[in-house]
Amino acid sequence: MEMQYRVSWWTYATVFIVGLVIVIPFAWMVATGLMTTSQTLLVPPNVIPSPPTLEGAQEVLNRIPFGALLLNTVIVSLARAVFTIIICSMAAYALAVIKVPGSGIILIVILALLMVPGDIFIIPNFAIISAMRLTDTLTALVLPSIFDVFGVFLLYQFFRGVPRELIEASRMDGASHVRILATIVVPVARSGVLSLAILTVLFEWKELLWPIVVNRSADKFTLGPGLALLRGEYITDWNVVMAAGVMSALPMIIIFVVLQKQFIAGIARSGLK
Amino acid sequence: MTDTTANSFGSLLKGVRGAFAPRTLAQREAIVGYLFLLPFFGGLAVFRFYGFGYNVWLSFMNAGAFGAPRFTGFDNYEKLISDSQVWLALGNTLKFAAIAVPGVVVVSMLMALLMQHRFRGETVFRAIVFLPAVCLPTALILVFAWMFQTQYGIVNAALQAMGTSPISWLGSAAGVTTVVSLLVIYLSFSVPTIILYAGMQDISRDLYEAATLDGAGPVQRFFSITLPLLTPSLFFVIITTAIGALKLFDVVYVLLPPIDQSVSLNYGFTLVYYYFYIGFFAIGQRGYAAAVSLFLLVVILVVSLGLLRVQRRFVHYGEDG
Repeated sequence: MEMQYRVSWWTYATVFIVGLVIVIPFAWMVATGLMTTSQTLLVPPNVIPSPPTLEGAQEVLNRIPFGALLLNTVIVSLARAVFTIIICSMAAYALAVIKVPGSGIILIVILALLMVPGDIFIIPNFAIISAMRLTDTLTALVLPSIFDVFGVFLLYQFFRGVPRELIEASRMDGASHVRILATIVVPVARSGVLSLAILTVLFEWKELLWPIVVNRSADKFTLGPGLALLRGEYITDWNVVMAAGVMSALPMIIIFVVLQKQFIAGIARSGLK
Repeated sequence: MTDTTANSFGSLLKGVRGAFAPRTLAQREAIVGYLFLLPFFGGLAVFRFYGFGYNVWLSFMNAGAFGAPRFTGFDNYEKLISDSQVWLALGNTLKFAAIAVPGVVVVSMLMALLMQHRFRGETVFRAIVFLPAVCLPTALILVFAWMFQTQYGIVNAALQAMGTSPISWLGSAAGVTTVVSLLVIYLSFSVPTIILYAGMQDISRDLYEAATLDGAGPVQRFFSITLPLLTPSLFFVIITTAIGALKLFDVVYVLLPPIDQSVSLNYGFTLVYYYFYIGFFAIGQRGYAAAVSLFLLVVILVVSLGLLRVQRRFVHYGEDG
């Protein structure tokens, strides 16, 4: 620690209040999810569901194909992470380790593309995916996003840090570049690869615009857009919506709690290098 | 004639044979390198370079729901300039960004300062700080929609308990702006907090000790040491948050779905929401939507370049920077 602060009672008071404010939306999601619809329509509202019921959770299964949405989210997140890592690590290897002629210009192009928001490609990418006859498929959710400029940039910085001697030594032993990439560079720079994997999965969980544009059937959605379907035209049964929120947030929160250290380190690493 | 044909054929053959012939190590390395880059650039060529060209091309077309696109010159751009909805959407976008970006910066700075303190339960607190970033955004946006619901929401219930009359949060411009800004801050403060926290950890403690010996209080230490040395991280946070806020879509779309055809859509239209709406939801004017999306790109580039100019004046990159 750089500075010695006194641990005083107001530190604890502040931490407690701030933590409470952050947790309230989650707590209210759980509480409402355990209510019946009529319990949600009380004025003033009941904060504690009495008695708690799983009615809302059961109704979720009637209204949206929850199992399919969850499975799609898992498939799409994993596929996106795996393909992004393969494609980006190959490109980053060519730039950082092989240092192909023109690497400098390619890096400038990559930096420039980092500034261009992906959302403006929604319209052309929809035309391209339609021409490929891939609309309404899970492939459509994965394909356009795996050529990730950010991923190449991130891995480039990590791959540059891999000791040259390690690479030269296995070149001498006659190892191919594919082999060096897979058995030396990726393992040595694994923290960077892990960061990219975590960030790619987080990006996928945040996708909304592209899935609702390219896919029309609910059973080809991921959880994010699938949940948005629950908002009713005139009346919304909030207990059902909140139960769905809990059901989809819970697996993610469990994954996060298990991998908390890697998550936070991964995100901190991606910030500034 | 025959000679030149034979010659060029000969040189072609030489070239083809050359491609397979042993060559210098550097040449072979370069070929492998380009092959490694091929999948990435192949994908970029389709989904970015071609896509961008297609977008520009489409913006000069009238692309309705049926039939082939028709060339209409600058019609879409003329329409864009005179379309009051575009200016409304730009106004909303800039308004949300102008509130949310300082909001995120101040909140994450305070959180990072708080986390500099040692206290019991730090790990739990850090996990809580991260919860909004790892949870499905749609779920959290829906919770806010429910909390700020006019008749049955807990926010209005709390206001009424304190004797204030209920507010139509999602039915007024001020209400929508408030809820959207709070949501953007809530959904996006976690990552900046960690980045600023890590930045503060990198500042040498000797500086603080020296300043304390010179009689500087905590506030003075913050403004004369922490803040200047944190400017690189701070700038990174500002520019990523600003770009994120300028392309805001998920918050407004889930909060104010297009099935709700009332005026409240006007309060929530951002540029991305607007071109999604005209391009895919309402009428199928994809040419016009393409023009609006390029307009968004210009807005984002102007803001980014503006921030880069400011950065050159204020950001401290160490002695040699």
